[in-house]
Amino acid sequence: MSIVVEGLKKQFGARVAVEGLSFEVKPGEVFGLLGPNGAGKTTTVRMLTGLLVPSGGRAVVCGVELPSTDEGVALRKKVGLLTEQPGLYDRLTARENLRFFIRLHELDEPKAWALAQRYLARFGLSGREDEPVGGFSKGMRQKLAIVRALVHEPEVIFLDEPTSGLDPQSARTVRDAVAELSGEGRTLVLCSHNLAEVERLCTRVAVVKNRLRTVSTLADLRREGLSLEVTLESDATPYVAALSHLPFAPAVTTEGVKLRVNLTDPSHAPDVVAALVRAGARVHSVTRAVRPLEEAYLELVREEDDA
Amino acid sequence: MSFSFARALAVVWKDLLDLRKNKGMLYSMLALPAVIVVMPIGVVATYVARPDDPNLKLMAQYYDLTVNAENATRFLVEKVLNDWFVLYLVMPVFVPILISSHAVAGEKEKRTLEPLLASPITALELVVGKSLASLIPSVIICLIAFVALCIGVDVVAWPLTHSPVLPNTMWTFGVIVISPLFAFFGNGVAVLISARVGDSRQAQQFAGLFVLPLVGLAAGQFGGFLKAGLGYYGLIAGIVLALDVVILLAAQRLFDRERLMSRWG
Repeated sequence: MSIVVEGLKKQFGARVAVEGLSFEVKPGEVFGLLGPNGAGKTTTVRMLTGLLVPSGGRAVVCGVELPSTDEGVALRKKVGLLTEQPGLYDRLTARENLRFFIRLHELDEPKAWALAQRYLARFGLSGREDEPVGGFSKGMRQKLAIVRALVHEPEVIFLDEPTSGLDPQSARTVRDAVAELSGEGRTLVLCSHNLAEVERLCTRVAVVKNRLRTVSTLADLRREGLSLEVTLESDATPYVAALSHLPFAPAVTTEGVKLRVNLTDPSHAPDVVAALVRAGARVHSVTRAVRPLEEAYLELVREEDDA
Repeated sequence: MSFSFARALAVVWKDLLDLRKNKGMLYSMLALPAVIVVMPIGVVATYVARPDDPNLKLMAQYYDLTVNAENATRFLVEKVLNDWFVLYLVMPVFVPILISSHAVAGEKEKRTLEPLLASPITALELVVGKSLASLIPSVIICLIAFVALCIGVDVVAWPLTHSPVLPNTMWTFGVIVISPLFAFFGNGVAVLISARVGDSRQAQQFAGLFVLPLVGLAAGQFGGFLKAGLGYYGLIAGIVLALDVVILLAAQRLFDRERLMSRWG
C-alpha cells in the first residue's frame, strides 16, 4: 500500500479539525478526498505530507510511519504536494523557482533540471523557463507548480484543490495535466469538492466531513442505497401521496410520468410498486436508477447536519 | 536530527536572488546607510570650514570645560564621530529587520510558505537560511558604509587634522565586533516577530521599535549626559551579546513549523 491511515485525528486546541480517518491507497491509484469546505481535507493532506503532526491515530505513507521522529524530512522527500495556491516566487523565473526546490531536495542539479525540462515541455511551458513567473497566467502558474511537485520524482503526489479559483480554461489544462499523470500510473491523492473533477480523475474516494463518511469506488457510491425509476401511464404527481407514508422511501420526486423513489433498503422495491398499484396507478416500467454522484455525496455530507 | 547546510544555503541563494530583483527593497535598504554616512561628513565639513568660529568653543565647553579655543574644533570633530557610532548602529539593526521581515512574513503574504515547508527543509535550516540571507547583505552594507564614512570624513577633515581621523580603535572595534552583534540582534527580533504576525509591514513596525533604545542613547550622548568611548560601547556590546544568546534560544523554541503551518500556511 502507498498509504495506510488508521484512526487519524487532528485537533487545534479544543477544535477537532478531523478525526476517525481510516483508509488505504494502493500504488498507482488515483484516490479522491472529497468533502465540503472546512471538512478537514487540507488538514488531512498536511498530516499525510508531514506538514502537521497528527493528534491521534497513525498513518504510513510511502513506508514512513507518522507521526515521524525527523520532523517529516524523510516523508517529504518521498511525496509531492501541489497546494491550492501555486505559491511561486513572482520575481524569480520558472527556472530559478524550480532550481530552488531542486536544491532543497538536494538533487543532482543537471539530472533534475533535465527531468524538469521534460515536464515543462509536456505542460507547454518550454521556452518560458527564463521569464519571471509573475507574468504567467493562473493556469501556467499551476502547471509550473505541478512540475515543482514532480521534480524530485515523488512516490505519491497530493493535489490539494488543484483547480480552485481557476477560470474554466485554466482548470481544464490543469485537469488534463493531472489526467496525464494518472495515465502514467502514478499514485495520486486528489483533494477536492469539485465532483466533476473527482468523477473524471478518481477511481475511489473517501468522503470526509470532519470525520470519515465513507470510502468507496465511485460506482458503489452511486449505488449506495437505491433509487427506483418508475414510469407510469399518466402524470405521476398525484401518486406521490401514496408513497409518503412509506418509512423506507424517504425521498420521492416526479418528472412528468416518471417517479424517482430513493429507498433505504432495496428489498422494499416490490412494496413501492404495490403501493402505487393500490392507489390506482398503471405502472409501465420499473428500473433501478444509478444516482448522480452529486446526490450521493450531498446525502453523505448532510447526514450529520440532519442528525 | 541532521542539519543540512545545503538546504539552508538554498534558502540563502533564493532570498538573495529575490532581494537583488526587488528594486524597491534595495532602495529602501540603501537610504538609511546613505543618511548615516553623509550626515557626519557634513557636520565635520561644517566644523572644519569655520575653525575659528567662537560658537564652536562654546559648544565644546558645554561638553568639556577644559577645552580651549585652539583645540575646540578638533574636539568637536572627535566628539561627533564618537557619538555618531551609536547612530551607525541603527543601520546593522534596521537593515536586517527590513530584509528578514520581508523574507519571513513575505513567504506568508505570497502564499509560498506551504510549498516551502512541504520540501524537506527543517525549521532550523529555514531559520539559519533566512538569517544568513539577511545578515550577509547587512554586514556588507555596514562595511561599505564604514569605508565610505572613513574616506569622506578624512577628506573633509584633512585641512584641520593633516592625518586620518578614521578608522580609529573605537570605530574599528565597533564595526568589526559590535555591528555584527547588533545585526544578529535585529535579524533575530525580525525573524521571531515575522513568524508570529501576518504581514511584513506589521513585522517591520514591531521590530522597528527595537531601534528606539539606540535613539535614546544617542539623545543622551548629544545632550552630554552619556560619554561615549571604547568602554561605553564595550558595555553595550556585552548587553547585546547577552540579548543575542536569549534570541537564539527563543528562536529555537518559538520558530514552530506546526504553528506556522496551521496559522499561515
